[in-house]
Amino acid sequence: MTAPDPPNSPVDPIFENLRLELRRGCLILATLAQLRQEHYGYTLRKALAEQGLAIDESTLYPLLRRLETQGLLLSQWREEDKRNKRFYHLSPLGQQLLTQLLAEWQSLNDSIHRILNQPEGRPESQNQPQA
Amino acid sequence: MELLDRYLQAVARNLPRHRQQDILAELRANLEAQLEDKEAALGRPLTQGEAEDWLREIGPPLQVAARYLPQQSLIGPSLFPMYWFVLRTALLWAVVIYTVVSALLIVLGQASAPAIPLAILRAPGVLFTVAAWVTLIFAALEFFSARYPRQFAPFVLQTTHWSPEALPPLEKDPHAPRSYARAIAELVFGFLFLIWMLLIPQYPFLLFGPGAWYFRHSPFQFAPAVLFFYAWFVAFNVLQILWRGIDLARGAWQHPHPLQNVIFKTFGLIPLVVLLRAPGHALVLLKNPDLDAAQYAANLHTLNQGVHQALLVVLVIVVLQLLWDVGRFFRDARNRAA
Repeated sequence: MTAPDPPNSPVDPIFENLRLELRRGCLILATLAQLRQEHYGYTLRKALAEQGLAIDESTLYPLLRRLETQGLLLSQWREEDKRNKRFYHLSPLGQQLLTQLLAEWQSLNDSIHRILNQPEGRPESQNQPQA
Repeated sequence: MELLDRYLQAVARNLPRHRQQDILAELRANLEAQLEDKEAALGRPLTQGEAEDWLREIGPPLQVAARYLPQQSLIGPSLFPMYWFVLRTALLWAVVIYTVVSALLIVLGQASAPAIPLAILRAPGVLFTVAAWVTLIFAALEFFSARYPRQFAPFVLQTTHWSPEALPPLEKDPHAPRSYARAIAELVFGFLFLIWMLLIPQYPFLLFGPGAWYFRHSPFQFAPAVLFFYAWFVAFNVLQILWRGIDLARGAWQHPHPLQNVIFKTFGLIPLVVLLRAPGHALVLLKNPDLDAAQYAANLHTLNQGVHQALLVVLVIVVLQLLWDVGRFFRDARNRAA
């Protein structure tokens, strides 16, 4: 494990940009997965944060609208605690897409593991046992 | 809380009209739930400062509202490469055309004394107009292709569709060594060209074809400037042949001197300038002006003026080419030094 970069090093902004891009790619999958149970915006954000995926409300709430427009989510207004709230949950199409996305994510994860586990300096094909 | 209400009011101003109330109601419910949790954790209402910090964390109202708008670029990734190419090409041609036209207007005396600084000051405005039109056209294409994808699909496909067969052939490396065969061919053809030019005064049909007979029996003749031009042109070709011959004899045909092209172009300007400085800009004169002036003078003047203006354009183009070659020479010299 390499030593952490000193504070304000040139790597920080680069790392921050790449980290955000990596998280952006997982955001939709995490949101769909969490909405296997019904949530409204704020509770969804809290649930994701508790699982280690903190998301800005200004990112999450418009995302919910977009996913609903695409037919992946269903919503309904309901009164709870004397306040009208919009509750979201997965639609049947969203469920189907979630399954496909999870399979895709798993495949990517496995590929990354294989890349990381191959010995340095030798391509994967040379790791195959010789006949 | 009044501050939250003001914040939501500012967000609402920038939301899409038809969904404004719906989005606002949802956003209010979420933010109020968040506020309740914060106040429950503190055991008291937020102070003004804490409320302002909280809203600052959420983000500026314009930015928050913008996230609810459909994602659209002014010029999207599929059209942008074509846009960038067209913009660079259009600006380059705008610079060339503007420079040539301005230079002609100044040289022909149709512009006043401060014409050059005025032309330079007007240049950014011209380039900005060209860039604005190109950007507007491509932004319109992006807008309509997003709204009407089926109708615009063939156009977008054309910008992204390509065939390996249509790739241009390999460009010759300008720094690749010249072959011996090519060096010999240049010398031989240069020599043949010189012989041809030397025979023209004796046999004008070699240049003018059947028109040589007409010209001989016409009332017209070439001005002395044309003969001077001819002599310079012959001298220039002799210089080229001598230099190339010396390169061959020295065994230096593979890599001609880097300045050779620049020197040839510079010397090539001299005959052009000789023609342009002809007295009265007249390259064709009447053999017997007393007899033929009444019949031919007006047309001859128009012809001479037309030829003069054409030569001016040629001069501007050659000067631009020379400047390009000089720039390339210095760039190559810098690369070699590095």
